[in-house]
Amino acid sequence: MRRSLARIGAITAKEFRHLVRDPRALGVVLLLPVLELLLFAYAISFDVDHVPTVVLDQDQSAASRAYLTAYSSSDFFDVRGTVSGLDQIDELFRQNRIRVAVVVPPGFGRTLAEGGQGRVAVLVDGADTQAAAVGKAYATALNVQYGARLAATWTDRQGGGAATASAGMLEPRMRTWYNPERRSSLFLIPGLVVVIIMIVTVQQTATSLVRERDLHTREQMQVSPLRPAELTIGKMLPWTLLAFVDLGVIVALGLGVFGVPFRGSVPVFVLASTVFILACLALGLIVSAVSPSLETANILALVIAFLPSFLLSGFAFPLSSVPGWLRAVSYLFPARYMVTISHGVFLKGAGFAELALPLAQLSVYAVVAASVATLLSRRRAR
Amino acid sequence: MSPKRIRLLIWKEFKQLRRDPLLLRIIFAMPILQLIMFGYVVAADVTHLPTAVVDLDHSAVSRQVEDAFAGSGYFVISAHPASEAAVRPLMDTGAVSVAVVVPEGTEAALTRGESAPVAVIVDGADGTTSGVALSYATQIVQQVNTRRLAAAGVDTSAVPGLDARVRVQFNPTLRSLNTMLPGLIGLICMISIVVVMSQAVVKERESGTLEQMFVTPITPAEYLTGKTVPYALVASAQALLVAVVGVTWFRVPFNGSIWVVVVGLVLFMLTVLGLGLLVSLVSRTRHQAQQTIMFLMLPAMVLSGFIFPLESMPSVLLPVAYAIPLTHVLVVMRGAFVHGAGFGDLAGPLAALAGFAVAVFGAALVAVNRRLKG
Repeated sequence: MRRSLARIGAITAKEFRHLVRDPRALGVVLLLPVLELLLFAYAISFDVDHVPTVVLDQDQSAASRAYLTAYSSSDFFDVRGTVSGLDQIDELFRQNRIRVAVVVPPGFGRTLAEGGQGRVAVLVDGADTQAAAVGKAYATALNVQYGARLAATWTDRQGGGAATASAGMLEPRMRTWYNPERRSSLFLIPGLVVVIIMIVTVQQTATSLVRERDLHTREQMQVSPLRPAELTIGKMLPWTLLAFVDLGVIVALGLGVFGVPFRGSVPVFVLASTVFILACLALGLIVSAVSPSLETANILALVIAFLPSFLLSGFAFPLSSVPGWLRAVSYLFPARYMVTISHGVFLKGAGFAELALPLAQLSVYAVVAASVATLLSRRRAR
Repeated sequence: MSPKRIRLLIWKEFKQLRRDPLLLRIIFAMPILQLIMFGYVVAADVTHLPTAVVDLDHSAVSRQVEDAFAGSGYFVISAHPASEAAVRPLMDTGAVSVAVVVPEGTEAALTRGESAPVAVIVDGADGTTSGVALSYATQIVQQVNTRRLAAAGVDTSAVPGLDARVRVQFNPTLRSLNTMLPGLIGLICMISIVVVMSQAVVKERESGTLEQMFVTPITPAEYLTGKTVPYALVASAQALLVAVVGVTWFRVPFNGSIWVVVVGLVLFMLTVLGLGLLVSLVSRTRHQAQQTIMFLMLPAMVLSGFIFPLESMPSVLLPVAYAIPLTHVLVVMRGAFVHGAGFGDLAGPLAALAGFAVAVFGAALVAVNRRLKG
């Protein structure tokens, strides 16, 4: 047993020496997470604002000008200018210069003065659906508000407001739990921890194991007293350690720089991360066992680590809206369980009781993946 | 330049590709997988949110509110907790992501002509959902109000108001796949060319076949053509596959001119081929090349506007976004697919792509020449 540990230690030391000799690899493992974190925390949000907008005022009345000021004074719309015809709007859309156009047809002021419904049109570019959906919602809200304001002014002028007060109105009161300001970084960073760990561990273990095979140093290892299991453990230990370092760095940056709260149980998070990292290493081992070449390992790792952890984990894209069969597929990747746990402990103050289910699922997953990995690599070694 | 030698080189490259049967299969399965994942996940509209309704009023109004939420299609009522305190564990475990609370005395307040609050609680741990859920909830409560007003027979005809038509141009159903697919074609070209191309020259250097190549009569220009053409062909086949599957199976409309797409993609491919070559030249091992690629690809995916709209980016990062070729090819592809834009409309991004192609591919040519001669 002691000798076995010494052999594993020797392999680990060798791997570390490889790493130190290749500063670019070390840079990727240690700097990529930080770079990603900065990118995601600063660049990504779905909070669209300053949407380039033009207005077309065919009415040219005091009422239409007052209405259009509602757009220029809002933070959401960035009114870039006034156009004189509908064809100009089409052209600007096609040149990708504007996202929203507001058209006030002639007669708007007169209709309002007569107590009618003043017609306006808001055109939203559907070429970026995220931005368009938000733009549509904002435009609708702005118009509802402005309409209510018109009605209120009118009722004031009528004195007392006989028409609307006879029936009470329901008033929605909105509350957002866990993240009251709805800052994107607050919900992205706990998920990002998971995504980064998954990419780094799966890809790195897979490619480093395949490389060993490619360079034929494996045969040399086999004539040494090393047992295959010792070799694998020794090769994976450095990546395990680096994964924990990455985890520490991201969590520290998230808590310290971005003010992400940590409300839940620390032991649960540590336990879950350990199981998760083991599951990822097992996946890396599986990839290396089935890939005949480095290129294949590389692309396969991209397909099974990068895409699912990014898209099917619930890290940025809600899984409740995807079709059922795809939700079933998401259970095939460990990131899904870990993102739930991560959101729970960071934002929701969840402890063991709330997270027992995903923890159990993750553990089962890790055991199954490790068994498959052992089986495949044993068959490969033969 | 001898066409025969180039043909031989290309043939050799394809033969090497075929030696790894898994690689070829993945190369062609990957775009389809990406199409499905991006198409169904990123493009998914927020619907069927698991919702808890806490009805403390037990009145006609509270039932009306619940029906309005259930009938909207955005919310699925999955729990009826007895009190607001009972919502907490449901949200902690993620069983529901929205809760609607109708307080006691709501109907009584409404009949007195007062306004009554309805609480809508959303799970802020899921940023995208919570924002959308809030705006849906507001609209639904307003609808209930309007319906109640109409039922009460209040005459609103003399009140001035707005009749606003908010219309989405070009992609009226707001189907995300329609805009995701053109972007995906560009992204797939980039991933497959850069990932495989960056390995191509390093591999030969690692195995020592590069030196063997130099003692043959092959010139650097021939070597380069023979090396890049196969990967450009593979990427074009992938792009075509995605486009055909997207247009026929996923029914993504194509409104523009094919030539705009072709010109844009060719310029973009030249850029990424150059990029792959450059990475290949500065890397000593395949592992290094692969890591450099990971380093370059992630920012490109995040900052190009492929998933996250450019409008949501802080303005400091916009120059960085415009320094990424993928950003411009996205504008061209989306313009052609969705807007039906022509060469005139897309002159700006096409010129930017041409600039990238000349600069990056030119730099790669110079570097390769120097390496092969020296």
